[in-house]
Amino acid sequence: MTQDSQATKDSLLRERLDVQKRRYKDFWKLYKGSRIGMLGLLIISVFIITAIVAPLITPYDPRALVGTPFLTPTRGHLLGTDQVGRDIYSQLIWGSRVSLMVGLLASAFGVAIGTAIGLVSGYFRGPPDSILMRITDLFITLPGLPLMLILAALLGRSMWNIIFVIAVTGWTGTAKMVRSQTLSIKERPYVEAARSVGAKDRHIIMRHILPNVFPLVFANAIVGIVDSILAESGLSFLGLGDPTKPSWGQLLRYANEAGALATGRWWFIIPPGLCIMLVAIGFAFSSYSLDEILNPRLRKRRW
Amino acid sequence: MGLKEYVGRRTLQGITTILLAIILNFILFRIMPGDPTRVLIGDPRVETGTRLALIEKFGLERPLLEQFILYIRNLFRGELGVSFAQMGRPVIEIILGRKMVNTLVLMASSMAIAFLLGIVIGVVSAWKRGTKADMSFIIFSLATYSMPVFWFGMILLLVFSVYFNVFPIAGTITPGVAHPNFLAYASDYLRHLMAPMITLAVSFFGGYFLFMRDTILDVFTEDYMLTARAKGLSDRKVLFKHAMRNALLPMVSLMGVHVTFLISGATMTETVFSWDGLGRLIYDSVRTADYPVLQGVFLIMSILVVVASILADITNAFLDPRIREAVE
Repeated sequence: MTQDSQATKDSLLRERLDVQKRRYKDFWKLYKGSRIGMLGLLIISVFIITAIVAPLITPYDPRALVGTPFLTPTRGHLLGTDQVGRDIYSQLIWGSRVSLMVGLLASAFGVAIGTAIGLVSGYFRGPPDSILMRITDLFITLPGLPLMLILAALLGRSMWNIIFVIAVTGWTGTAKMVRSQTLSIKERPYVEAARSVGAKDRHIIMRHILPNVFPLVFANAIVGIVDSILAESGLSFLGLGDPTKPSWGQLLRYANEAGALATGRWWFIIPPGLCIMLVAIGFAFSSYSLDEILNPRLRKRRW
Repeated sequence: MGLKEYVGRRTLQGITTILLAIILNFILFRIMPGDPTRVLIGDPRVETGTRLALIEKFGLERPLLEQFILYIRNLFRGELGVSFAQMGRPVIEIILGRKMVNTLVLMASSMAIAFLLGIVIGVVSAWKRGTKADMSFIIFSLATYSMPVFWFGMILLLVFSVYFNVFPIAGTITPGVAHPNFLAYASDYLRHLMAPMITLAVSFFGGYFLFMRDTILDVFTEDYMLTARAKGLSDRKVLFKHAMRNALLPMVSLMGVHVTFLISGATMTETVFSWDGLGRLIYDSVRTADYPVLQGVFLIMSILVVVASILADITNAFLDPRIREAVE
């Protein structure tokens, strides 16, 4: 008897895995067909690899004073040196680490907060829903960058504070979306069926609702990465970044402080911004094709 | 539900949001580690006499709840404290005035440009869906969306101010110039406005364009579009009279929501171009740890956003009766 039920359990599990696998395969097939999506993925991969092998492809420690200040690009210093003699090229390569890390983590935390709030709000309704939605509306309304600036200024300059500040201001979109999805999924027959055989709220949320909102949450997270990377660069540019870790926004801040604009030293200004833009474009392209796949109404031309 | 009722309800909602923002604003500056008295008024740049008066006025040695009540009372009297960095000048005087006008001019002009371009090009792109032109607009708008606003501003400055000397490099007017009449003043002001306005407009174009394009594609599936074509209307008429009109509604509400992003963009832009507005003021206050000013600007900006979104919603409800019904 117990062996029998064990066998059923196993086969059920296997079946679920198969369904999952098939889903991912179908998804990948659709994604592969999108040229923009693949280009995005390629760009992202290049930057991730750069971030990983940063120590191998940089000649200097990005923090060390290795040359005379204000050198123009030469063979030894591909992009010259900054106002205190640090190698700009090395700072640029190492900067990819901070940008990617902050982008990925801040977006992940933000989306996690949003998903939790959206699920609770949409599933349980009632007073918690009203309160949570009021708070969400408040955070949607508050001007984002000024709030981030104030929080970052109050908390102090560190990478984790930046991640916290971006996450805590960037969860509202996900919360709204997860809530509305939860509201509609909750009414579907299989959830009703699960409840009628005595499934607990926790089980229904984790097994039936979460897997169904996950694709959209994932798409939201990708957009969130673009926003987080841009927010990090902005905060660093305004002087609230982590002073111990080189980042692209910070490099642009140094360029601004060193008067690179007025003296026309383009090699100090163009590369960091271009990197921010390329990484962000990589994620934006991916999210664009994700959107086309996940919103079937956009997939076909109708008219 | 009638329009009046809708307006009343929306206004009430807005007031609640503003009250919540005020509470958050109060809490934010008091959760900091250490003694709030020290942070809010213990700045060495403030004279002792002024400091004692401030402690009295804001009740900073009393319990938190009493402080909160005093804070609200002072707020309604337009009393926001005094600046640390500017020799005890009242915050309200710094915020309301020239800086606010400069920011509003910058935001309104760039939003108008981005909005108009987004609509027109969005319609055309949706119409030519899948063509090369459509694809290039999509890629261009994704690129501008992915660009740090401040960096784009720097590039503009590098090319047009340093290399070609078309735009002035910073500020709102040329310093030290006595303008003979208003016209000269206005033209000098406009010349300075150009670069920041273009920067902000470009950074917002992408969002409006993509949204408009999506909405138009949605509208294309509606039955009345088929009817319009069946009636034998020309393509241009169908596109601009039927499709665009219906797609404009969601665009109006998007504009209301966008004011908060606009403020973020303006903060960056103003910093790069030294545009003398509220965004630049925020940056300066963060740098000089001028907390009373920071608190004041944040509050004013929040109110600005709430008012803008209410106006957008009411405009929408006025244009489209379905919205009033849907609120039920």
